Amino acid sequence: MIEINNLSVLYEGNTVESLSDVNLSLQKGDFICVLGKSGAGKSTFIRCINGLQKPTSGEIHLNGKTITNAGENQLRKIRREMGMIFQHFNLIPRLSVLQNVLTGTFGYRPSFKNLVGWFSAEEMAFAKSVIAEVGLSEMMDRRVEQLSGGQKQRVGIARAMVQKPCVLLGDEPVASLDPGTSNRIFTLLKEMHERLGLLTIINVHDIDLAKRYATRIIALKDGKVIYDGLPKDFTEAEYQETYESQSQEYYFGSEI
Amino acid sequence: MWFKKSNLLTLAILILFVFFSMRLTEFDLSKFKDFRNMIDFLSQWFPMDFSLLPDMVQDTLETLAMAFLGSVLGLVIALPISFIAARNTSPSPFLFQTSRIVLSFVRSIPEIVFGLILLTTLGLGPFPAVIAIMFHNVGVFGKLISELIEAADPGPQEAMKAVGSRTWVANLFSILPQIWPNVLSQFFYRFEVAIRTSLVLGFIGGGGIGQRLFNDFKTFQYSSVSLDVLIIMVMVIIIDFFASYIRKRII
Repeated sequence: MIEINNLSVLYEGNTVESLSDVNLSLQKGDFICVLGKSGAGKSTFIRCINGLQKPTSGEIHLNGKTITNAGENQLRKIRREMGMIFQHFNLIPRLSVLQNVLTGTFGYRPSFKNLVGWFSAEEMAFAKSVIAEVGLSEMMDRRVEQLSGGQKQRVGIARAMVQKPCVLLGDEPVASLDPGTSNRIFTLLKEMHERLGLLTIINVHDIDLAKRYATRIIALKDGKVIYDGLPKDFTEAEYQETYESQSQEYYFGSEI
Repeated sequence: MWFKKSNLLTLAILILFVFFSMRLTEFDLSKFKDFRNMIDFLSQWFPMDFSLLPDMVQDTLETLAMAFLGSVLGLVIALPISFIAARNTSPSPFLFQTSRIVLSFVRSIPEIVFGLILLTTLGLGPFPAVIAIMFHNVGVFGKLISELIEAADPGPQEAMKAVGSRTWVANLFSILPQIWPNVLSQFFYRFEVAIRTSLVLGFIGGGGIGQRLFNDFKTFQYSSVSLDVLIIMVMVIIIDFFASYIRKRII
């Protein structure tokens, strides 16, 4: 479904690549958790997939369409098929839950309809049914800043689901939530994932969550894939390798 | 303990500046010994002459309308320009630089200069005053709002892009709700400033209560001057009260 070939990202002013020659093939039905220390390239990886980050080299294909050299309009058409949720939720403040969820349809609609807020009965009904699925029916008209963290992320998920996506991306979606809430968010994500037959790719710090929910784990270190396989095979040794502190050679090596 | 040598030097320089400024402005408190003149003059202001009150109210409404139109039109024109003049939403570096330069150029011209220039084509009256206030406000709002846009949280903008929305729709939806309360509060402040400006523009024939005040003053109608001043004070207080009420409701 998604093919990634020789993907590399070098940020301006850096001497070390944030992603370095990543080659992966991601299939429909995969629930992938991406592990790695801060700065390992997890976020860059996720953001490359929907084109929020332009790679320095390499290609990404979604169902045969090339994302990495897509023009503005093509990129919009690809993005609307990918839902994305964020660590800080990235909801629009001062708008209600329903209004925020409706913005998820923007990629499919002409700009003037978005601007005046003209939604068809079906679009409205679908948005409301998605809100019901994430359990926020009673909060539909509340402003999002009045919600708790977990509720905000549910709005984020509903916004992504209204896109009717085939891919769901998550950039540390539970990093600012407590363990219980994180668990419930993951349960919801997994449920949606299975029912809609998605490809889900989520960055996560919590290895227990990853082992419990993922069908596939990818571990990144210094921008390279160091593990790609089943959660049950991700053992203490792999954990150590992923999270061990960087060697002195790395720090000094890059200077020379 | 608390002061360094450099602090003392700064203080010395400051005192020097104050001294020279006083010399340049002929600052001399002893001149106040003739304050009786002022009392004499002010006593001529009373009793107030209420006979022209309806005309004065009419002129006051004209002043309010000038200030309101000038600031509303300024805001409406400045809003789209602000998105071009903000680094994070500008369509191109060239447009960004150009709009910045145009805004600061417009802002650097005082309303009274605009007014004097426009008088030559538009003649006397409130219309050139409205245009003068509007131009200056485009410059001021453009700068203030583009700075608000640059300070807005980039998260929602990213989310809207990820949804597949067009860039300009994404920018509008993710940024405008964030900055709206600040925009409104800037608007009310500029509206208050515009009222004072329209008074001054009245002095050069811009109409409104400002022109009436100026004319009454020039023709020694001090009992009318006092009522003009009173009406202006009441108007400013009411606007201030009203503005803070609306701001509270919005935020």
